Amino acid sequence: MKRSALPPLINMVARLVVAGTFLLAALPKIGDPLAFAQAVAGFQLINGVLAHYVAIILPWFELIVGIGLVVPAIRRASGACISLLLITFIGLHASAWQRGLDISCGCFGTATEPTTNYSLLILRNLLFLIAVIWVMRRDFKSHTRASEIAI
Amino acid sequence: MLILYVAQSTNRMLSLFKEFFIIAVLTSVGVAYSLFSGHAPAPWVEAELDAGEIHMVDASVINPIWVDARPEADYAEDHIATALSLNETNWDDGIFSLMGEWLESPRPIVVYCSSSSCDTSKRVAERLRNELSDAEVYSLHGGWQP
Repeated sequence: MKRSALPPLINMVARLVVAGTFLLAALPKIGDPLAFAQAVAGFQLINGVLAHYVAIILPWFELIVGIGLVVPAIRRASGACISLLLITFIGLHASAWQRGLDISCGCFGTATEPTTNYSLLILRNLLFLIAVIWVMRRDFKSHTRASEIAI
Repeated sequence: MLILYVAQSTNRMLSLFKEFFIIAVLTSVGVAYSLFSGHAPAPWVEAELDAGEIHMVDASVINPIWVDARPEADYAEDHIATALSLNETNWDDGIFSLMGEWLESPRPIVVYCSSSSCDTSKRVAERLRNELSDAEVYSLHGGWQP
């Protein structure tokens, strides 16, 4: 019986969309870490110095896991890292929303983006999270099959 | 059978750890590049003023027109003496008062909000630069607390 080509296609599209978004989000932050540090500090959860550390490390991490999602050698760990990042972002945005903070999301690097529409942002990240979990499920399954064959 | 299962599980875990390790190494290389190429200032060095920002100590000296970009409720509670309320929600009313003040006595405009982490002052300052292209507009570094 011929298997449908739809799931692999959805899988590929989801993978490319999430990877592309992480790439696009990381590059401006790497280019202007100070602006991103400001956006991080805007969440009022960590102090200025710590925000600078986050502003240097997080964009590179996003870039690597974004690319990693389409590189077979590291795609399972990249998917897991992206899921954790998205859960963290959802928590941060929910917390900022609950505290009524007037800040920009900083998702694409700057503190001067328009003020965050929290509900849309959380919805977008939830959709990304579902997409990554879908992609990861298939990656883990195919890796399990491969290792069983190898052994 | 059990040995086979354990071998498979160990193999899977090891290869997953290897993937995390590769990600950690690549991220570290990127961070090192940012720091050593000068792309990012070292976090342990205090950040300088951003473009368009001014310290309170310098702003006080130039006798600016103060613009309070906080919500009107906060402005009503307390504000810098002589400050005008202008934010994104009362823009149409506030801009007329500000233009009146500025045309009467042209001098630098300093916009503030409540802390270094609020963005409103930067956005209002940017908008003022566009609308009053001849004016010298700053946002206050660190914000203002009553």
